[in-house]
Amino acid sequence: MHGIFYDEVHDEIVVPVALGGAVLTLPGDAAGDAPPKRVLQGPKTGIVQPDTIYVDLKHDELIVESGDDAVLVFPRTAQGDVAPTRRIGGPNSGVSNIYGLAAGLDCLVVANRVDTGGRASDDAILVFNRLDNGDPKPRTKISGPHTGIIKIRQVFVDEERGLIFATIKNNFEAYNYADTRPSPWDPIKTGFIGVWSIDDNGDVPPRGVIRGPATGLVWPAGVAINARHHEIYAIDSVSNALFMFKMPEFFVKLPSSEAGR
Amino acid sequence: MNHRIVIATAGLMLLSIGSFSTGDSAGEGTICPVPSSSMSEARLLALERENGCLDGMEADDAPSWPPGWDRATIAGGDVAPVRVVSDPYPTLHSVVVDAERNKVFMSDPNRHALWSYDRLSASKGKEMIEALTGIRGPSTGMMFVAAVTLDRERQEIYTVDNDIGDRLMVFPYDADGNVKPKRVLDVPHQAWGISISDERNEFAISVESPREIVVYAKGAEGRAQPLRTIRGPKTGLGDPHGVFLDGQNNEIVVANHGNQGGRQPAPGDAPARQRGTRVAEPQPIVGGRFDDPSITVYNADAKGDVAPTRKIQGAKTGLNWPMAIDVDRSRNEIAVANNGDSSVRIFRRTDTGDVAPVRVIKGPRTGIAGPMGVAYDLKNGEIWVANYGDHTAQVFPVTASGNVAPKRTLRNAPAGSPTVGFGNPGAVAYDSKRDEILVPN
Repeated sequence: MHGIFYDEVHDEIVVPVALGGAVLTLPGDAAGDAPPKRVLQGPKTGIVQPDTIYVDLKHDELIVESGDDAVLVFPRTAQGDVAPTRRIGGPNSGVSNIYGLAAGLDCLVVANRVDTGGRASDDAILVFNRLDNGDPKPRTKISGPHTGIIKIRQVFVDEERGLIFATIKNNFEAYNYADTRPSPWDPIKTGFIGVWSIDDNGDVPPRGVIRGPATGLVWPAGVAINARHHEIYAIDSVSNALFMFKMPEFFVKLPSSEAGR
Repeated sequence: MNHRIVIATAGLMLLSIGSFSTGDSAGEGTICPVPSSSMSEARLLALERENGCLDGMEADDAPSWPPGWDRATIAGGDVAPVRVVSDPYPTLHSVVVDAERNKVFMSDPNRHALWSYDRLSASKGKEMIEALTGIRGPSTGMMFVAAVTLDRERQEIYTVDNDIGDRLMVFPYDADGNVKPKRVLDVPHQAWGISISDERNEFAISVESPREIVVYAKGAEGRAQPLRTIRGPKTGLGDPHGVFLDGQNNEIVVANHGNQGGRQPAPGDAPARQRGTRVAEPQPIVGGRFDDPSITVYNADAKGDVAPTRKIQGAKTGLNWPMAIDVDRSRNEIAVANNGDSSVRIFRRTDTGDVAPVRVIKGPRTGIAGPMGVAYDLKNGEIWVANYGDHTAQVFPVTASGNVAPKRTLRNAPAGSPTVGFGNPGAVAYDSKRDEILVPN
């Protein structure tokens, strides 16, 4: 499982099961071999191999990565073999390998990867209008060398401050035997947590970042926020570690300097 | 150290940290730099501190920050975490024994390592056992490793990356430290199990997501393609894990979790799709399914979309997340590391259908906790179990049954050390109701 969402309104945990082509909803206090409350699975769903999900609590919708280069939107309580209410995918949308989804402020945010391009790839944060359907162009696209976005993963939207938190692995898994240092985790290009405004667009640096040797981050793959305690949580898929950062500056209005933008 | 900055200086700070000196080599052909300052030690927090060797900066290796960041106003920076949850000890995954040389090898996805131990080493009390060798570090290329097996004839250790890496790596028995593999083979994404057949001069690999078994010639390396592939809806393969290529009985035995993805597996023998590529004509969407876990058996020469010759599946089997398997061909038995209920289940090799195991090793006296690995040592009449849910491996008599204490326990951490259980985690969520952090694996 490479996705998870905690629904604080209904006290539920929602997870995608990539290898079973399903989305499971469990009670918030589930432990051990607890059965799911709901299973969303079947050919009508269009769910093939979902890696990531998000729940839009404001609009009571479940947003699912299809595993098939598309975003699927269902009613939050959908279960069984039912068709999605909306689907975003196709060449105009630019939706490709989806590694993170989020929603908020009437937007749908897609962490999109184009894995074939190496460090020059077009990995991006794509922002769509919440009710988009079919093959629309994204409303905005945050990508390019100034963003530092290479191998993006989980994203999260902080609606209160209008921010997108994103995990950026910033590395590749290629192992070139002949290299002097054939490191799969290049020490010079470790990953980071980047924070953008949901209104950002184009090739712009983040407004906030957690990155560098003191952070301990190598390949951050997941991010969550605890606004009450001003904390950011990052899970790292190479260190196999959970890092907790106290970042009060991320919970005030972030800089909006045009420098470098 | 807490460099909370508003940036323009962040890049400069990183530029200032790293002067490294080159120290002694930790392994043949490998430079293993030694940190020269406390700042470089801090840099290691961004590497794997436990890797035993540091992948160092060269003089012209300026840490790269994206263009424009030095002129932007960016909050945050190089901030130390206030808390970290991680497991400093190896997590045992799979196990294999060379009884002739009295060595046991185990894979460790937590620290991306392979460890060897003396076969007879055992913890008398709460103490941990020191490994004979530990292969780990950036040069090894090991990422989220899964199974380990041995070519005893050539004295080679095989391991395979699972969800990240997509490589099989082969090391010599005596490899130790941060060393390059002897050979590397690109394998399909989500490989898990490996089994070598000396009789057939081949090895088989199970691959989870495409639900396939790929068979290679022993010695395959680079981008060598499999000799054959078993894949397709008739095969009954469902999220395969443990695999055993039985050259004596000319069979391949596979442990399946039962997960079926939403797209029909591509029937046939064509090479699997490589990650990041697209297939011209994708298979139809048939919807995901959770089938019952199973043990499926195929002819060793089988390829393409073939039905299994036998299948052990059903309520009586007790199969629940079956992981590694091993086959005792003298007793005609299959041992299964049954992760879901912390047991080892032994089936008759020729069983088929909904059958109960002939023996089950399970219960609090056994100490079995979330087993991933199981391996026979038939020379010494023993069966090894590697626990992912505890820092232990245990040795039982080959005929052990029920809630029995192990003959020996090998600890790789002091007793009571918790296993965090992270394995290539890819997401996190905050439970605001319980003030808890949720991490899926």
